[in-house]
Amino acid sequence: MSQPLESPRLVLHDYELDADCYKVRLLLALLGARYERLAVDVHPGHEERSPAYLALNPRGSLPILEQDGLVLAEAEAILLHCAGLLPGGGALVPQDGADHARMLSWLFFARGPLAAAGLARLHAMLEAPGDGPALERQALAAFRVMEDHMTAQRIAGSDWFVGAAPSLADVALFPAIALSRDFGVDHDAYPALRRWMRRVRALPGFVTMPGIPDYH
Amino acid sequence: MTDPAVPAWHAVALAADIEPGTSAGTRLHDRELVVWRDSAGASHVWEDRCPHRGMRLSFGFVRGDHIACLYHGWAYDTAGQCRAIPAHPDLAVPETIRVPTYASAEASGLIFVWSEMGATPMSPPAARPLTALRSLFVEATPERVAALLAGRFAPGPDGSFAGCLAGADVVLFLQPFTAERTGLHVTIDGAGDGALVSRGAEALRHAIEAAAPSRFASLEFAA
Repeated sequence: MSQPLESPRLVLHDYELDADCYKVRLLLALLGARYERLAVDVHPGHEERSPAYLALNPRGSLPILEQDGLVLAEAEAILLHCAGLLPGGGALVPQDGADHARMLSWLFFARGPLAAAGLARLHAMLEAPGDGPALERQALAAFRVMEDHMTAQRIAGSDWFVGAAPSLADVALFPAIALSRDFGVDHDAYPALRRWMRRVRALPGFVTMPGIPDYH
Repeated sequence: MTDPAVPAWHAVALAADIEPGTSAGTRLHDRELVVWRDSAGASHVWEDRCPHRGMRLSFGFVRGDHIACLYHGWAYDTAGQCRAIPAHPDLAVPETIRVPTYASAEASGLIFVWSEMGATPMSPPAARPLTALRSLFVEATPERVAALLAGRFAPGPDGSFAGCLAGADVVLFLQPFTAERTGLHVTIDGAGDGALVSRGAEALRHAIEAAAPSRFASLEFAA
Protein backbone atom coordinates (compact mmCIF):
# COMPACT_ATOMS: atom_id res chain seq x y z
CA MET A 1 0.00 0.00 0.00
CA SER A 2 1.47 3.34 -1.02
CA GLN A 3 0.36 6.69 0.31
CA PRO A 4 -0.69 9.26 -2.33
CA LEU A 5 2.14 11.69 -2.94
CA GLU A 6 -0.23 14.62 -3.26
CA SER A 7 -3.42 15.22 -1.32
CA PRO A 8 -6.44 14.44 -3.48
CA ARG A 9 -8.48 17.47 -4.49
CA LEU A 10 -11.77 17.29 -2.65
CA VAL A 11 -14.82 19.46 -3.28
CA LEU A 12 -17.67 19.32 -0.79
CA HIS A 13 -21.06 20.69 -1.78
CA ASP A 14 -22.22 21.78 1.61
CA TYR A 15 -24.97 23.44 3.62
CA GLU A 16 -23.92 24.84 6.98
CA LEU A 17 -27.09 23.78 8.87
CA ASP A 18 -27.33 20.25 7.38
CA ALA A 19 -26.46 17.54 9.90
CA ASP A 20 -25.29 15.13 7.15
CA CYS A 21 -22.98 17.77 5.69
CA TYR A 22 -21.66 18.36 9.21
CA LYS A 23 -20.79 14.65 9.50
CA VAL A 24 -18.49 14.99 6.52
CA ARG A 25 -17.01 18.31 7.70
CA LEU A 26 -16.39 16.71 11.09
CA LEU A 27 -14.52 13.75 9.59
CA LEU A 28 -12.45 15.97 7.29
CA ALA A 29 -11.60 18.18 10.29
CA LEU A 30 -10.61 15.18 12.42
CA LEU A 31 -8.32 14.04 9.59
CA GLY A 32 -6.95 17.55 9.09
CA ALA A 33 -7.83 17.32 5.39
CA ARG A 34 -7.82 20.27 3.02
CA TYR A 35 -10.91 20.61 0.86
CA GLU A 36 -12.88 23.11 -1.11
CA ARG A 37 -16.29 23.94 0.30
CA LEU A 38 -19.10 25.12 -1.98
CA ALA A 39 -22.04 26.59 -0.06
CA VAL A 40 -25.40 25.48 -1.46
CA ASP A 41 -28.49 27.62 -0.84
CA VAL A 42 -30.75 24.91 0.58
CA HIS A 43 -32.97 27.21 2.62
CA PRO A 44 -34.82 29.01 1.25
CA GLY A 45 -33.42 28.51 -2.27
CA HIS A 46 -33.65 24.69 -2.65
CA GLU A 47 -30.62 25.00 -4.90
CA GLU A 48 -29.80 21.31 -4.36
CA ARG A 49 -32.88 20.55 -6.47
CA SER A 50 -32.05 23.04 -9.23
CA PRO A 51 -31.50 21.61 -12.73
CA ALA A 52 -27.74 22.15 -12.41
CA TYR A 53 -27.55 20.26 -9.11
CA LEU A 54 -29.88 17.48 -10.28
CA ALA A 55 -27.53 17.01 -13.20
CA LEU A 56 -24.70 16.51 -10.70
CA ASN A 57 -26.69 14.44 -8.19
CA PRO A 58 -30.12 13.22 -9.36
CA ARG A 59 -31.04 12.39 -5.75
CA GLY A 60 -31.33 16.10 -4.97
CA SER A 61 -29.53 15.59 -1.67
CA LEU A 62 -26.52 16.94 0.18
CA PRO A 63 -23.71 16.45 0.91
CA ILE A 64 -22.02 15.73 -2.42
CA LEU A 65 -18.31 15.00 -2.61
CA GLU A 66 -16.35 15.42 -5.84
CA GLN A 67 -12.91 13.90 -6.21
CA ASP A 68 -11.08 13.29 -9.50
CA GLY A 69 -14.25 12.72 -11.51
CA LEU A 70 -16.03 10.77 -8.77
CA VAL A 71 -19.33 12.34 -7.70
CA LEU A 72 -20.50 10.76 -4.46
CA ALA A 73 -23.75 11.30 -2.54
CA GLU A 74 -24.88 9.97 0.90
CA ALA A 75 -22.87 11.03 3.93
CA GLU A 76 -21.95 7.56 5.19
CA ALA A 77 -20.59 6.52 1.78
CA ILE A 78 -18.53 9.74 1.75
CA LEU A 79 -17.22 8.95 5.24
CA LEU A 80 -16.09 5.49 4.16
CA HIS A 81 -14.52 6.81 0.97
CA CYS A 82 -12.63 9.62 2.72
CA ALA A 83 -11.40 7.31 5.47
CA GLY A 84 -9.97 5.02 2.82
CA LEU A 85 -8.48 7.86 0.82
CA LEU A 86 -6.99 10.26 3.35
CA PRO A 87 -3.96 9.91 5.64
CA GLY A 88 -5.06 8.91 9.13
CA GLY A 89 -8.45 7.70 7.92
CA GLY A 90 -7.55 4.05 8.39
CA ALA A 91 -7.42 4.54 12.16
CA LEU A 92 -11.16 5.23 12.12
CA VAL A 93 -12.00 1.93 10.37
CA PRO A 94 -11.60 -1.19 12.54
CA GLN A 95 -9.27 -3.85 11.12
CA ASP A 96 -10.99 -6.66 12.99
CA GLY A 97 -13.68 -8.22 10.82
CA ALA A 98 -16.38 -8.33 13.47
CA ASP A 99 -15.72 -4.75 14.59
CA HIS A 100 -15.71 -3.63 10.96
CA ALA A 101 -19.14 -5.19 10.53
CA ARG A 102 -20.35 -3.55 13.76
CA MET A 103 -19.17 -0.18 12.46
CA LEU A 104 -21.08 -0.73 9.21
CA SER A 105 -24.15 -1.71 11.20
CA TRP A 106 -24.04 1.62 13.07
CA LEU A 107 -23.52 3.52 9.81
CA PHE A 108 -26.71 1.91 8.48
CA PHE A 109 -28.42 2.71 11.79
CA ALA A 110 -27.45 6.36 11.28
CA ARG A 111 -29.11 6.28 7.87
CA GLY A 112 -32.10 4.19 9.00
CA PRO A 113 -33.76 4.51 12.42
CA LEU A 114 -31.75 7.59 13.40
CA ALA A 115 -32.77 9.47 10.24
CA ALA A 116 -36.01 10.34 12.07
CA ALA A 117 -34.00 12.70 14.28
CA GLY A 118 -32.76 14.63 11.24
CA LEU A 119 -36.28 14.86 9.85
CA ALA A 120 -37.71 15.93 13.24
CA ARG A 121 -35.08 18.68 13.40
CA LEU A 122 -35.82 19.95 9.87
CA HIS A 123 -39.54 19.85 10.67
CA ALA A 124 -39.01 21.94 13.81
CA MET A 125 -36.45 24.37 12.37
CA LEU A 126 -37.30 24.81 8.72
CA GLU A 127 -40.94 23.68 8.70
CA ALA A 128 -40.09 20.74 6.47
CA PRO A 129 -43.17 18.54 5.89
CA GLY A 130 -43.64 15.59 8.25
CA ASP A 131 -45.52 14.28 11.28
CA GLY A 132 -43.57 16.08 14.02
CA PRO A 133 -44.73 14.05 17.05
CA ALA A 134 -44.27 10.73 15.22
CA LEU A 135 -40.77 11.70 14.09
CA GLU A 136 -39.89 12.71 17.64
CA ARG A 137 -41.10 9.34 19.00
CA GLN A 138 -38.98 7.52 16.42
CA ALA A 139 -35.98 9.70 17.28
CA LEU A 140 -36.40 8.96 21.00
CA ALA A 141 -36.52 5.23 20.25
CA ALA A 142 -33.27 5.51 18.29
CA PHE A 143 -31.60 7.59 21.03
CA ARG A 144 -32.59 4.95 23.59
CA VAL A 145 -30.88 2.25 21.51
CA MET A 146 -27.75 4.40 21.45
CA GLU A 147 -27.95 5.21 25.18
CA ASP A 148 -28.32 1.54 26.14
CA HIS A 149 -25.44 0.58 23.85
CA MET A 150 -23.11 3.23 25.26
CA THR A 151 -24.12 2.25 28.80
CA ALA A 152 -23.05 -1.32 27.98
CA GLN A 153 -19.84 -0.02 26.40
CA ARG A 154 -19.07 2.08 29.49
CA ILE A 155 -19.65 -0.95 31.74
CA ALA A 156 -17.33 -2.96 29.47
CA GLY A 157 -14.69 -0.23 29.76
CA SER A 158 -14.97 1.41 26.32
CA ASP A 159 -15.66 5.08 25.52
CA TRP A 160 -16.66 4.41 21.89
CA PHE A 161 -19.45 2.81 19.87
CA VAL A 162 -17.30 0.06 18.38
CA GLY A 163 -14.37 -1.63 20.07
CA ALA A 164 -12.00 0.46 22.17
CA ALA A 165 -11.22 3.31 19.76
CA PRO A 166 -13.12 6.02 17.87
CA SER A 167 -14.43 4.95 14.46
CA LEU A 168 -16.60 6.29 11.66
CA ALA A 169 -19.59 5.07 13.70
CA ASP A 170 -18.94 7.80 16.29
CA VAL A 171 -18.69 10.43 13.54
CA ALA A 172 -21.91 9.28 11.86
CA LEU A 173 -23.93 9.07 15.09
CA PHE A 174 -22.75 12.27 16.80
CA PRO A 175 -24.67 14.98 14.88
CA ALA A 176 -28.21 13.66 15.48
CA ILE A 177 -27.97 13.56 19.27
CA ALA A 178 -25.74 16.65 19.55
CA LEU A 179 -28.40 18.62 17.61
CA SER A 180 -31.46 17.12 19.33
CA ARG A 181 -32.19 20.32 21.25
CA ASP A 182 -33.07 21.89 17.88
CA PHE A 183 -36.27 19.83 18.06
CA GLY A 184 -36.78 20.10 21.80
CA VAL A 185 -35.11 16.90 23.05
CA ASP A 186 -32.76 17.61 25.95
CA HIS A 187 -29.90 15.35 26.98
CA ASP A 188 -31.22 14.87 30.53
CA ALA A 189 -32.13 11.20 30.01
CA TYR A 190 -28.89 10.25 28.24
CA PRO A 191 -26.01 10.13 30.75
CA ALA A 192 -24.03 7.62 28.68
CA LEU A 193 -24.44 9.66 25.50
CA ARG A 194 -23.47 12.86 27.34
CA ARG A 195 -20.28 11.16 28.46
CA TRP A 196 -19.58 9.89 24.93
CA MET A 197 -20.28 13.29 23.37
CA ARG A 198 -17.66 14.81 25.68
CA ARG A 199 -15.17 12.21 24.40
CA VAL A 200 -16.04 13.04 20.78
CA ARG A 201 -15.67 16.77 21.51
CA ALA A 202 -12.20 16.10 22.91
CA LEU A 203 -10.93 14.43 19.70
CA PRO A 204 -8.12 16.47 18.08
CA GLY A 205 -9.51 18.61 15.26
CA PHE A 206 -13.14 18.45 16.47
CA VAL A 207 -15.35 21.19 15.02
CA THR A 208 -18.87 22.33 15.91
CA MET A 209 -21.74 23.63 13.78
CA PRO A 210 -24.58 26.04 14.60
CA GLY A 211 -26.65 24.37 17.35
CA ILE A 212 -23.68 22.63 18.96
CA PRO A 213 -22.14 24.93 21.60
CA ASP A 214 -18.46 25.65 21.20
CA TYR A 215 -17.15 25.89 24.73
CA HIS A 216 -14.87 22.95 25.40
CA MET B 1 -41.89 8.90 47.97
CA THR B 2 -43.55 10.01 44.75
CA ASP B 3 -45.58 12.76 46.49
CA PRO B 4 -43.97 16.14 45.72
CA ALA B 5 -45.52 17.64 48.88
CA VAL B 6 -43.41 15.39 51.13
CA PRO B 7 -39.76 16.54 51.23
CA ALA B 8 -37.33 13.67 50.69
CA TRP B 9 -33.93 12.72 49.36
CA HIS B 10 -34.04 11.64 45.71
CA ALA B 11 -31.23 10.17 43.62
CA VAL B 12 -30.83 12.21 40.43
CA ALA B 13 -27.62 10.82 38.89
CA LEU B 14 -24.78 8.38 39.26
CA ALA B 15 -21.90 10.25 40.87
CA ALA B 16 -19.58 8.92 38.14
CA ASP B 17 -21.84 10.28 35.38
CA ILE B 18 -21.25 13.87 36.50
CA GLU B 19 -17.55 14.20 35.76
CA PRO B 20 -15.45 17.06 37.21
CA GLY B 21 -15.97 20.27 35.26
CA THR B 22 -19.26 19.16 33.69
CA SER B 23 -22.97 19.84 34.11
CA ALA B 24 -26.19 18.03 33.24
CA GLY B 25 -29.86 18.88 33.33
CA THR B 26 -32.38 16.71 35.12
CA ARG B 27 -35.86 16.99 36.59
CA LEU B 28 -37.50 16.28 39.90
CA HIS B 29 -41.30 16.48 40.07
CA ASP B 30 -41.14 18.32 36.73
CA ARG B 31 -38.84 21.03 38.12
CA GLU B 32 -35.72 21.59 36.01
CA LEU B 33 -32.49 21.10 37.95
CA VAL B 34 -28.85 21.41 36.98
CA VAL B 35 -26.41 18.92 38.50
CA TRP B 36 -22.81 20.01 38.15
CA ARG B 37 -19.42 19.17 39.52
CA ASP B 38 -16.73 21.77 40.02
CA SER B 39 -13.10 21.17 39.11
CA ALA B 40 -12.29 20.43 42.76
CA GLY B 41 -14.75 17.51 42.65
CA ALA B 42 -17.69 18.86 44.68
CA SER B 43 -21.18 18.34 43.20
CA HIS B 44 -24.01 20.87 43.29
CA VAL B 45 -27.73 20.78 42.46
CA TRP B 46 -29.53 24.05 41.65
CA GLU B 47 -32.54 25.36 39.88
CA ASP B 48 -31.64 25.05 36.19
CA ARG B 49 -32.24 28.66 35.28
CA CYS B 50 -29.99 31.64 34.79
CA PRO B 51 -31.64 34.63 36.54
CA HIS B 52 -30.68 36.83 33.59
CA ARG B 53 -32.73 35.42 30.72
CA GLY B 54 -34.00 32.11 32.07
CA MET B 55 -31.62 29.99 29.99
CA ARG B 56 -30.96 26.51 31.39
CA LEU B 57 -27.61 26.58 33.18
CA SER B 58 -27.11 22.92 32.29
CA PHE B 59 -26.49 24.09 28.70
CA GLY B 60 -23.61 26.18 30.01
CA PHE B 61 -20.09 25.34 31.03
CA VAL B 62 -18.07 24.82 34.18
CA ARG B 63 -14.82 26.70 34.71
CA GLY B 64 -13.01 25.91 37.95
CA ASP B 65 -15.47 26.48 40.79
CA HIS B 66 -17.94 28.52 38.67
CA ILE B 67 -20.69 27.53 36.26
CA ALA B 68 -21.44 29.97 33.45
CA CYS B 69 -24.51 30.48 31.31
CA LEU B 70 -24.23 29.66 27.61
CA TYR B 71 -26.12 32.83 26.58
CA HIS B 72 -24.09 35.69 28.06
CA GLY B 73 -21.50 34.03 30.27
CA TRP B 74 -22.87 35.14 33.64
CA ALA B 75 -20.80 33.07 36.08
CA TYR B 76 -21.97 31.73 39.44
CA ASP B 77 -19.90 30.49 42.38
CA THR B 78 -20.61 27.29 44.32
CA ALA B 79 -23.15 29.11 46.54
CA GLY B 80 -25.19 30.18 43.49
CA GLN B 81 -24.02 33.79 43.78
CA CYS B 82 -23.34 35.58 40.49
CA ARG B 83 -19.70 36.70 40.46
CA ALA B 84 -19.05 37.91 36.92
CA ILE B 85 -21.01 39.48 34.06
CA PRO B 86 -18.74 39.57 30.99
CA ALA B 87 -20.63 42.47 29.35
CA HIS B 88 -19.95 44.58 32.47
CA PRO B 89 -16.48 43.51 33.62
CA ASP B 90 -16.09 46.43 36.07
CA LEU B 91 -19.46 45.94 37.77
CA ALA B 92 -19.60 44.78 41.40
CA VAL B 93 -22.31 42.15 40.90
CA PRO B 94 -25.27 42.73 43.28
CA GLU B 95 -25.83 40.05 45.95
CA THR B 96 -29.43 39.72 44.73
CA ILE B 97 -28.34 37.98 41.51
CA ARG B 98 -28.40 34.43 42.81
CA VAL B 99 -29.51 31.01 41.61
CA PRO B 100 -31.81 29.10 44.02
CA THR B 101 -29.96 26.03 45.31
CA TYR B 102 -30.94 22.65 46.74
CA ALA B 103 -29.21 20.64 49.45
CA SER B 104 -27.41 17.70 47.84
CA ALA B 105 -25.13 14.89 48.95
CA GLU B 106 -23.30 11.90 47.51
CA ALA B 107 -23.90 8.46 48.96
CA SER B 108 -23.88 4.88 47.62
CA GLY B 109 -22.29 6.13 44.38
CA LEU B 110 -25.28 8.39 43.66
CA ILE B 111 -26.00 12.11 43.86
CA PHE B 112 -29.03 12.83 46.03
CA VAL B 113 -30.99 16.07 46.19
CA TRP B 114 -33.35 17.21 48.95
CA SER B 115 -36.58 17.98 47.15
CA GLU B 116 -37.44 21.18 49.02
CA MET B 117 -35.63 24.16 47.48
CA GLY B 118 -33.28 25.96 49.87
CA ALA B 119 -34.20 23.77 52.85
CA THR B 120 -31.72 22.08 55.18
CA PRO B 121 -32.59 18.40 55.68
CA MET B 122 -32.50 16.83 59.16
CA SER B 123 -30.06 14.10 58.13
CA PRO B 124 -27.99 13.08 55.10
CA PRO B 125 -29.13 10.28 52.76
CA ALA B 126 -28.30 6.79 54.00
CA ALA B 127 -24.81 5.72 52.90
CA ARG B 128 -24.80 2.05 51.93
CA PRO B 129 -22.04 -0.14 50.47
CA LEU B 130 -23.65 -0.28 47.02
CA THR B 131 -22.06 -0.20 43.56
CA ALA B 132 -23.84 2.30 41.30
CA LEU B 133 -24.33 0.70 37.87
CA ARG B 134 -26.47 2.88 35.61
CA SER B 135 -29.43 5.21 35.26
CA LEU B 136 -32.32 4.59 32.91
CA PHE B 137 -35.58 6.35 32.23
CA VAL B 138 -39.01 4.77 32.00
CA GLU B 139 -41.86 6.30 30.03
CA ALA B 140 -44.44 5.81 32.81
CA THR B 141 -45.68 7.85 35.77
CA PRO B 142 -43.66 7.66 39.00
CA GLU B 143 -46.74 6.39 40.88
CA ARG B 144 -47.21 3.58 38.41
CA VAL B 145 -43.54 2.60 38.39
CA ALA B 146 -43.51 2.57 42.20
CA ALA B 147 -46.67 0.43 42.33
CA LEU B 148 -45.31 -2.07 39.78
CA LEU B 149 -41.91 -2.28 41.46
CA ALA B 150 -43.56 -2.88 44.84
CA GLY B 151 -45.04 -6.10 43.43
CA ARG B 152 -41.57 -7.54 42.78
CA PHE B 153 -39.14 -5.68 45.01
CA ALA B 154 -39.11 -4.78 48.69
CA PRO B 155 -39.71 -1.05 49.26
CA GLY B 156 -37.21 0.45 51.71
CA PRO B 157 -37.73 3.32 54.16
CA ASP B 158 -35.69 5.62 51.92
CA GLY B 159 -37.96 5.03 48.92
CA SER B 160 -35.64 2.50 47.30
CA PHE B 161 -36.58 -0.98 46.06
CA ALA B 162 -34.46 -4.03 46.86
CA GLY B 163 -34.59 -7.42 45.18
CA CYS B 164 -33.01 -9.75 42.66
CA LEU B 165 -32.30 -8.79 39.06
CA ALA B 166 -30.32 -10.92 36.58
CA GLY B 167 -28.93 -13.05 39.39
CA ALA B 168 -27.68 -10.14 41.50
CA ASP B 169 -29.00 -8.37 44.58
CA VAL B 170 -29.92 -4.87 43.47
CA VAL B 171 -31.29 -1.71 45.02
CA LEU B 172 -33.25 0.57 42.68
CA PHE B 173 -33.67 4.28 43.43
CA LEU B 174 -36.67 5.94 41.85
CA GLN B 175 -36.56 9.53 40.57
CA PRO B 176 -39.94 11.20 39.96
CA PHE B 177 -38.78 12.99 36.79
CA THR B 178 -41.95 14.39 35.25
CA ALA B 179 -45.59 13.32 35.44
CA GLU B 180 -44.89 10.95 32.51
CA ARG B 181 -41.29 9.88 32.98
CA THR B 182 -39.49 8.13 35.86
CA GLY B 183 -35.78 7.74 36.45
CA LEU B 184 -34.38 4.51 37.87
CA HIS B 185 -30.87 4.46 39.31
CA VAL B 186 -29.63 0.89 39.53
CA THR B 187 -27.13 -0.20 42.18
CA ILE B 188 -25.72 -3.65 42.93
CA ASP B 189 -25.55 -4.88 46.53
CA GLY B 190 -22.55 -7.21 46.71
CA ALA B 191 -21.26 -9.14 43.71
CA GLY B 192 -22.97 -9.18 40.33
CA ASP B 193 -22.31 -9.13 36.59
CA GLY B 194 -22.79 -5.47 35.64
CA ALA B 195 -23.47 -6.19 31.97
CA LEU B 196 -26.17 -8.75 32.83
CA VAL B 197 -27.80 -6.53 35.44
CA SER B 198 -27.80 -3.62 32.97
CA ARG B 199 -29.64 -5.75 30.41
CA GLY B 200 -31.95 -6.96 33.17
CA ALA B 201 -32.78 -3.35 33.96
CA GLU B 202 -33.66 -2.77 30.31
CA ALA B 203 -36.00 -5.79 30.44
CA LEU B 204 -37.54 -4.37 33.61
CA ARG B 205 -38.08 -1.03 31.87
CA HIS B 206 -39.73 -2.84 28.95
CA ALA B 207 -41.97 -4.81 31.32
CA ILE B 208 -43.08 -1.63 33.12
CA GLU B 209 -43.83 0.18 29.88
CA ALA B 210 -45.65 -2.85 28.46
CA ALA B 211 -47.72 -3.61 31.57
CA ALA B 212 -51.43 -3.03 31.02
CA PRO B 213 -52.40 0.40 32.37
CA SER B 214 -54.37 -1.01 35.27
CA ARG B 215 -53.64 -0.67 38.95
CA PHE B 216 -53.86 -4.47 39.14
CA ALA B 217 -51.09 -4.89 36.57
CA SER B 218 -47.98 -6.76 37.60
CA LEU B 219 -44.54 -7.19 36.09
CA GLU B 220 -43.95 -10.28 34.03
CA PHE B 221 -40.33 -10.82 33.10
CA ALA B 222 -37.54 -13.19 33.90
CA ALA B 223 -35.65 -12.25 37.06
